Amino acid sequence: MASMCEATTRIVPGAAVIELSGDIDGSAAAILTTAYQNAVDGYDDPEPLGTVVLDFGAVDYINSTGIALIVSVLARARAERRKVVACGLSAHYREIFDITRLSDFIELFPDLDHAVSQLTGPVA
Amino acid sequence: MTQVARPAPGKPRRLDTFTLASEPGNERLALARVAGTVKDLGLSEARLERLKTAVAEATMNAIEHGNGNRPEIPVEVEVTLDGDDIIIAISDQGGEAHVAAQNAGDPEEPDLLKKLDGAQTPRGWGLFLIRNMVDAMNVTTDGQRHTIWLTMRTGGAAHGEHV
Repeated sequence: MASMCEATTRIVPGAAVIELSGDIDGSAAAILTTAYQNAVDGYDDPEPLGTVVLDFGAVDYINSTGIALIVSVLARARAERRKVVACGLSAHYREIFDITRLSDFIELFPDLDHAVSQLTGPVA
Repeated sequence: MTQVARPAPGKPRRLDTFTLASEPGNERLALARVAGTVKDLGLSEARLERLKTAVAEATMNAIEHGNGNRPEIPVEVEVTLDGDDIIIAISDQGGEAHVAAQNAGDPEEPDLLKKLDGAQTPRGWGLFLIRNMVDAMNVTTDGQRHTIWLTMRTGGAAHGEHV
């Protein structure tokens, strides 16, 4: 089955952002894994990458297999002592993050601007 | 807007019945069709989203655990209105094998901390999500057929629910 998921990685001060779109289901496994690796590899500040932002603003659908993929990303990030935050989730998927307790481990922001400004601090 | 006529008290009314090939991804067809069928029954947007997730997860389980991803074996979906209750029945041909397959993959209640520590597989969220999305979930199984019944009340919010 062709994946309906796409991921773009970009670096902001202090973090790497993985912008996701489409469906986060079983077909997204390789895309999400590659995006995480690209985020780690693309970060070339002197300090190690500390935070990965998952931007769900353009995501239409997340199923239980997609939740499992997010758990896997979080597990890897924790093992590598990186923080994961998320933004752009709809009210429904925020509820699912609460029910599964993902929101106990992944700080949620309404959108990417809020997440980035929190990570980088207010503009002087 | 088309209004769906309410059944007389005590007289359930079947709103839709359809089948799907057991292919991964077809759960999206089920959720879209059920959402279209119940859209005028007064569910809040939040409860409609919950029902869609439950239908998708139950259909995925039927496709994978019940029918073994064999496209030629259909998943059957039936939507009934019984008073204020929307009842969705999703059936596969796995019978007891469905339960065994599901338990073999994910025998425990999902525990995120255990999953993060590697003590549980990252998977195993399907039934957990279904139970938390609908007002009631029941399962009937015989030698041939496995059916999951999802019930969602049309009026108001369940206890403690955000709408």
